[in-house]
Amino acid sequence: MSFLDIVLQLIQGVNYTVLVTLTCSATGLVVGLIVVGLRRLSFPGLRFLLDSFTYIFRAIPVLVLLFMVYFGLPMSGLKVPPLLAMALSLGLIAGAYIAEVFRGALDLVDASEIIAAQSMGMSRLQILISIEFPQMIRFAFPGMVNEFTTVLKYSPFAYTVGIPEITKQAMNLASTTMRGIEIYFAVGILYFVIYRIFLAGLQLLERHYRVPGLEPK
Amino acid sequence: MSEWARFISDLLEQMPLILTGLGKTLQLASLISFTGFLMGVVVFYLTLSQRGIIRRLINGYISFFIGMPLIVLLFLMYYGLPQWGIKLTPFTVAVIGFTLNVGAYNAAYLTSAFNGLDRSELEAAKAQGFNHRQIFSLITLPQVLRLSIPALTNQIINNLKDSSIAFLIQYTEFFARVQELASTNFQFFKAYFFAALVYLCLVSIIVLIARALEKKILIPGIFR
Amino acid sequence: MALIEINNLVKVFDKQTVLAGVNLSLVEGDVKVVMGPSGCGKSTLLRCLNRLIEPTSGTIIFRGEDITKPEVDVRALRQSIGFVFQQFALYRHLTVLENVTLALRKIRGMSRSEAKEKALHELSRLDMAIHCDKYPSQISGGQKQRVALARALAMDPAVVVFDEPTSALDPIMSREVAMLIKNLHRDNVTIMCVTHDLLLGRYLSERVAFLDHGIIKAEDTFENLCNNHSDPQIRSFFEREASTS
Repeated sequence: MSFLDIVLQLIQGVNYTVLVTLTCSATGLVVGLIVVGLRRLSFPGLRFLLDSFTYIFRAIPVLVLLFMVYFGLPMSGLKVPPLLAMALSLGLIAGAYIAEVFRGALDLVDASEIIAAQSMGMSRLQILISIEFPQMIRFAFPGMVNEFTTVLKYSPFAYTVGIPEITKQAMNLASTTMRGIEIYFAVGILYFVIYRIFLAGLQLLERHYRVPGLEPK
Repeated sequence: MSEWARFISDLLEQMPLILTGLGKTLQLASLISFTGFLMGVVVFYLTLSQRGIIRRLINGYISFFIGMPLIVLLFLMYYGLPQWGIKLTPFTVAVIGFTLNVGAYNAAYLTSAFNGLDRSELEAAKAQGFNHRQIFSLITLPQVLRLSIPALTNQIINNLKDSSIAFLIQYTEFFARVQELASTNFQFFKAYFFAALVYLCLVSIIVLIARALEKKILIPGIFR
Repeated sequence: MALIEINNLVKVFDKQTVLAGVNLSLVEGDVKVVMGPSGCGKSTLLRCLNRLIEPTSGTIIFRGEDITKPEVDVRALRQSIGFVFQQFALYRHLTVLENVTLALRKIRGMSRSEAKEKALHELSRLDMAIHCDKYPSQISGGQKQRVALARALAMDPAVVVFDEPTSALDPIMSREVAMLIKNLHRDNVTIMCVTHDLLLGRYLSERVAFLDHGIIKAEDTFENLCNNHSDPQIRSFFEREASTS
């Protein structure tokens, strides 16, 4: 088996790595938006619950939560498919981190603009969606990219629940060929390449939506 | 006997093993926090090198380790190196792997703090005749470290949480012991829930210490 | 009949009385200038008008209806009062055009093209149509004020309220904005302007209401307030002009 064969075999896992990363990033993004949005619109009791969520989910290791969801829940009769288990562990944890990033970014939205929008007769929800979120996301961009990167780096945990992503392919290869060094070296390079492509894609997005005067620092 | 009662009796029975596991987790987390910190400072020092080639190499190192999963590096050393006749213990693999990884992160935090620094002080120091190394250790580093305390603290929390990865290379730390507990009585959910609670408590202790320090030295931004 | 009639309006924040019984009325097509030292309650008064702040007691009759009543549709009320803020408060993530069209689309439910047409009409009235694709960070303070005004006018408000419209501008731009408001008055727009800029106040109206410690202490011509008023504090407030001009 040549090095090229190894790489070709590994590439078969790329789909799954990308799938897991995108699923968990999207979950994180949606959860982050919901948490920060509810927090903005809500009353103190709910706010305490939301803050507890972000605190707790940032304190639990991904692997522990993943096992709890994937191996723990079936014991109480809830069978969770692997990808959903990733979304409910890595995705929710990413959501808690992204909510924190958003919370900081929301503070950068100018209060006078919100008052202006209120004076025009916009509802609280309209203001959140048309004024606060678009600005918040622009301010939060660098932090969001960090969190998406973290998701990519934790995506190998998907192998523990049987998703045949890159690391799983590598483990299979390593056990049959006994060439672990080349294989894992190639895996490292492969992740790095995926990371750079993701980064380039996100930067392209950022440039497309960039507004003069609201550039992330 | 209720399920919880059974779980708790199993838990108590295996408590000695779990506690040694917890000890190993804390040992690994503190050691890598320390070595990762030193590595971060060294790498940060090298990013300020006057030689372009070194700067480029170091930036490549930081970028590579931030873009690559740690688990891959651990597997490379643990499952790959024996092929060259190098057999390392799980603990050694974990310490080396985490140090390289955490060092890259810490260096990135220090660099971004450095970029926000007022450069005129550095020029003043240069004008006074301090050499490169003196400026670094007397002026740059103290200021940058101060500014980076929140990020470095959060990294310590991450180290504690990420140390659970080491069980994937057969290091019998806390989470590995919890796995054993779960497989003796098949109470997976309760076992993992217990593990989550323990991590939550440990993280909270670090947060409380950091907050107490924060009050003393007034540095905002530590994990809330 | 007056368009707006404020009767005995009181606002108390945490035991601190900010408005202590304000009486003021504004006739349709008129300009009402309210002046006073900082902290006199000007901003609170304006914010009671569109219920951004809930008054403690008193009434505000707007088009024959008491708008301080709890059952009033606050959002509908706000749509009929155009607000122009001290710091312009343009939405930084939207272009000049989008700043004007946002409320037309989201609140009035206009289509994109309808809203654009209406917005361009208002912007060209204020000579800002050529800047419609720029972002707030790319235009000057005076231009921002024009956009803020266009944004308010696009909603066809019954009254336009200015909160310190010149305080963030240099003297030349202040003059420009003063002329803008004057032109608006000529077009029969009802205006209420709160300011401590004497030049602006005088330019807009002969008469002025003086708000101090939460009540209207006097309402008269500038001439009388400056020269003949019995309260020396009021005289000195309006005499500043003599020394500055």
